[in-house]
Amino acid sequence: MKDNVKSGALTEVTFFILLSLFEPKHGYAIMQFIGEKTDGRLVLGAGSLYGAINTLTEKGWIEPYGDLDGRKKEYVITEEGRQIAEKELLRLKKLTETASMIMGK
Amino acid sequence: MSIKKRRFFAGFMGSQTKWLNSMANKGCRLVKAGKLEYVFDECDPGKYVYTVEYVGDKSLEESENYKAFLEDMGYQVFFKNMNLDYSILKLTFRPWADQGGKVSTTKTTFNRELLIVEKENDGKPFELHTEKEDRAEYYKKIARPWYYAVFLALLVAIICWPNVLMTAICAGLAVLFAIPVVFAAIKVGKIKKERELEE
Repeated sequence: MKDNVKSGALTEVTFFILLSLFEPKHGYAIMQFIGEKTDGRLVLGAGSLYGAINTLTEKGWIEPYGDLDGRKKEYVITEEGRQIAEKELLRLKKLTETASMIMGK
Repeated sequence: MSIKKRRFFAGFMGSQTKWLNSMANKGCRLVKAGKLEYVFDECDPGKYVYTVEYVGDKSLEESENYKAFLEDMGYQVFFKNMNLDYSILKLTFRPWADQGGKVSTTKTTFNRELLIVEKENDGKPFELHTEKEDRAEYYKKIARPWYYAVFLALLVAIICWPNVLMTAICAGLAVLFAIPVVFAAIKVGKIKKERELEE
């Protein structure tokens, strides 16, 4: 999971994982969230998801949530993660504005 | 009624996956994966699909975390050996592994180099690595042990130099060991090209 540092653009999957974790979720629920919100267009394999969760946790954008006794491990977005997501939303808004202007839609 | 089969696939993960899936299509569900022996129970044909993943580069803790994560996803997961070795006290050095996985013993990741993962068939292909970046990383990871094999074979070839036969054999082995490296490099190169335009 490498996000473009120069432009600050997140990969679609990274952005979706961050969005899914505005409410705490475990891995399976994240996968379901992505499937639902993209009508199955974006399919995320469990191995890729595992790698993404670890990378995002290391970056401090998400963190484990709640106690882990006998339950599936849950994650939630951090303050830093929220800021990153907000920045991405602004970037995308700007992009769609420019595209709409040029393409006249 | 359980069915027992003896097979050994070594590092040929693709063949092992194919075979497990052909068994599943015949109505056999894996319940135990031993060193050479696979035990199956009867099930509806095609009810399950399998995939095999290399985890030999991970530390024990990491591969168990990963296994637990996959189980949380609702998959059934088995550890599987990639090599055949029956010694009790065994130490293997894996310079290509992540930290914590570099030295493996019978107590850690030795004989747990692979994971067999099973999911209920939902008609979609069973891929654990779907992201381009992640797929490229995985191919590199699989190829890494072969780099060392090539290097070792070349080293022995040089050491044996005055002995032409030995040198030729070792150099031949080096070429053989280089095949997986080349395949991985081609796959990684393809992904890189795709990534220039798409995520």
